[in-house]
Amino acid sequence: MPGGMPMLDCESVMRQLWDFLDGELTPERMAAVRAHIEMCKRCYPQHEFEQSFLDAVAARRRQHSDPQRLRRRVADALRAKGLSDA
Amino acid sequence: MPGQIMADERKLQRDREFHAEALRWLPEVTRFALSLTRDESDADDLVQETYLKAYEAWDTYTPGTECRGWLFTICRHSFYRRRLREERQVTCDDPELEALAAVAVHASARQGGYADLFARFDLSEAIDRAIAALPEAFRDVVLLVDVNDQSYEAAADTLDVPVGTVRSRLFRARRLLQEALIDHARDAGLVRAQTDAGANRHES
Repeated sequence: MPGGMPMLDCESVMRQLWDFLDGELTPERMAAVRAHIEMCKRCYPQHEFEQSFLDAVAARRRQHSDPQRLRRRVADALRAKGLSDA
Repeated sequence: MPGQIMADERKLQRDREFHAEALRWLPEVTRFALSLTRDESDADDLVQETYLKAYEAWDTYTPGTECRGWLFTICRHSFYRRRLREERQVTCDDPELEALAAVAVHASARQGGYADLFARFDLSEAIDRAIAALPEAFRDVVLLVDVNDQSYEAAADTLDVPVGTVRSRLFRARRLLQEALIDHARDAGLVRAQTDAGANRHES
């Protein structure tokens, strides 16, 4: 393997797939898993499936409809507790 | 009086630190509160309560440490205290076995011809319902890591559990979510049910 990258089999990649998608592996391990996925007909579709799932869940991140109003409300409540406008 | 002036200056310094370190995370705390409550009005109350508690407890915060995680912890505790629920104990499984179980979910989806389910359909409401239906300990890790973009370590700090527990709960939660969403897609007629109903379940 180029650059002395460890050779990974499919099972090993599947065991680490969530950690890989979450960016939680070491840089060397991230590169090794990425290299395997890019070349593997079995692991690539699995990777795409899980990534699309994570994207769909992350899209549920909600935005407040009026963040300024909430900021004022919190600031007023804190002021009443004694927080100065420092 | 010098003593009074010093006390005033200390308070001013404390308030400055609170502005700089705590209030800067208001958008993130708001998003976290929204993901917990799923209701804007409840989230507003929760955010206010979080910041009032944080202000009262500011002397216990160590400046320069992870303030966002500290606020998330207060927010989460306040939320569950409001709901008067007791934390359920969840057994910790092997996270790597959970990761392998995900392969079976995908294999089933591929056989059923809906491997692109999550990319093809808008499952927003089903995702919200499925997350809400998760046991509390699983829901917490999904909301922190998958919805609020926290690392495993930050989530572990917020939940006060080991990183390994975050991983195992997260991987199990993802599998439960995927199974719930596939069931939803079948029930809604988005995808066809497999003829072999027994192939639809994937127990680890």
